[in-house]
Amino acid sequence: MKIKTHKVPGVFLLDSHLATKGEALYGEKVFGEYRLWNPQRSKLAALLKKGEDVPLRPDQIVLYLGAASGTTVSHLANIVSLVYAVEFAPRVARDLVRLSERVKNVVPLVADARRPDYGHIVELVDFLYQDIAQPKQAEIAITNAEMFLRTGGYACIMIKARSIDVTAKPKAVYKGEVKKLGELLDIMYVHELEPFYKAHAAVVARLA
Amino acid sequence: MTIIKTWFGEIELHNGQIVRSNVLQTDAVAIALQLQREEFTDLDKRCRSRLREMAIQLGLVTSEHDYISLLRAVAIQRAKEQIIAAFSRPDARIVQLIGGIDDIDESINLLSERLLEWDVLEFNISSSGDVTETDASQSTIYPTLKHEFVESIERLSEVRKKIAGTIELEMRDVAPNLCSLAGELLGARLIAQAGSLESLARMPASKIQVMGATKALFKHLQYGAKPPKHGIIYQHPLIRGSPLGKRGKIARTMAAKLAIAARIDFYSKKVHPELLAQMEKRIREINNPAIRDKT
Ligand SMILES: C[S@@+](CC[C@H](N)C(=O)[O-])C[C@H]1O[C@@H](n2cnc3c(N)ncnc32)[C@H](O)[C@@H]1O
Repeated sequence: MKIKTHKVPGVFLLDSHLATKGEALYGEKVFGEYRLWNPQRSKLAALLKKGEDVPLRPDQIVLYLGAASGTTVSHLANIVSLVYAVEFAPRVARDLVRLSERVKNVVPLVADARRPDYGHIVELVDFLYQDIAQPKQAEIAITNAEMFLRTGGYACIMIKARSIDVTAKPKAVYKGEVKKLGELLDIMYVHELEPFYKAHAAVVARLA
Repeated sequence: MTIIKTWFGEIELHNGQIVRSNVLQTDAVAIALQLQREEFTDLDKRCRSRLREMAIQLGLVTSEHDYISLLRAVAIQRAKEQIIAAFSRPDARIVQLIGGIDDIDESINLLSERLLEWDVLEFNISSSGDVTETDASQSTIYPTLKHEFVESIERLSEVRKKIAGTIELEMRDVAPNLCSLAGELLGARLIAQAGSLESLARMPASKIQVMGATKALFKHLQYGAKPPKHGIIYQHPLIRGSPLGKRGKIARTMAAKLAIAARIDFYSKKVHPELLAQMEKRIREINNPAIRDKT
């Protein structure tokens, strides 16, 4: 097996399989100190698998909206220094809390990202990651970026076209969302997540 | 001068320098509890970028590493509480909160009585029957101890206020119609006495009318006062403000409306503003039969 480094420090390719270094947490396959990261189960993995350079760096603090049970969070925690993980559904949040008890650099927050009430807890962050299936995805990202993202920080927003408008063409939905995001953020690129995810796109941007 | 609220306490800043602070203990469970109660305030980005630095400067933690482990412990504790609360029935929480208020009232009364006895020791009753204060050197009570004793009573009243505030918030969600007819606290007391919103919803009005008419219950509510023979709903201002002879009739009318409100709250939670208007109109008629003839 050949081990290569990805453009993003902390991410590896074992032959063609994406991986991060750390303890196994949710039953993923492990090779030595590497945990495989399945792009079918994580949109961030899908984006990385497609070879994109995501501006993630080891010293960053990340605010993660829509953490669910923490699959992606657990890999991200291997890459960066600290992850504030927000999830509002109690049932999945229970798994997220369990995971946070094992991973020392994850801070779980049970909260609604539409009305952030974690303003007295979360620090200024370097990276905002959002993966929530909600109609107002761009608005949520902007609210949180205005409160928590430092100037010069980055945002990666996973847009699910179907949550915003089931009838419209996905491309038209992305365009609309990108336009809204563009009012606050400088858009770096928009990348569709096919074939791993249908009608999903990643928007990567920077707060100038 | 700005005062900012962070998860580890309140900080007063002047030109970016900390001038005063009220930092919590390093106990994660205690901080999480405090967070649960505090109102949320936003920070500006400049303060937000300095959270770690300020916590270290204030001596809460000694390193960034410690900052993160304390914050994480607090967040995990708080998240667990939120998850438990989400899964537990909200009316069960209200019943517990009412129980908490009753316990506090009982404790405050007990402590206040003790205080009164201490005070009595500090006065001499002269042969002529005049009450004069003894001079300080002869005072039997340790002033600092007494001061702390008084403070703990005050502290309890503060907690009581917070519990009452929480009940009010929860009640508006859980039983909006009951709130509009009975007020949040009286409504909560009815739920607590019935055991749950469901059992209140299943009760006939006649039972709601007399519910809680026991000496034991009122011991907490109206300490010192003569124990009333009537149910909880007699605390309602519309009954208390009515002539004695009419109260029974008003209580019956009110209980009937409360029974309807409880049922709506349990089955749909849809708000029916007309219930209150109907009840008030009916009570006006009872109090003043002449009105009825005119309208
Ligand atoms: C697609 S899943 C996220 C999957 C996760 N990012 C992963 O890769 O492991 C979306 C999650 O966002 C959560 N969510 C939706 N709306 C939210 C909101 N307003 N605030 C916080 N979380 C929300 C949902 O409960 C759900 O768990």
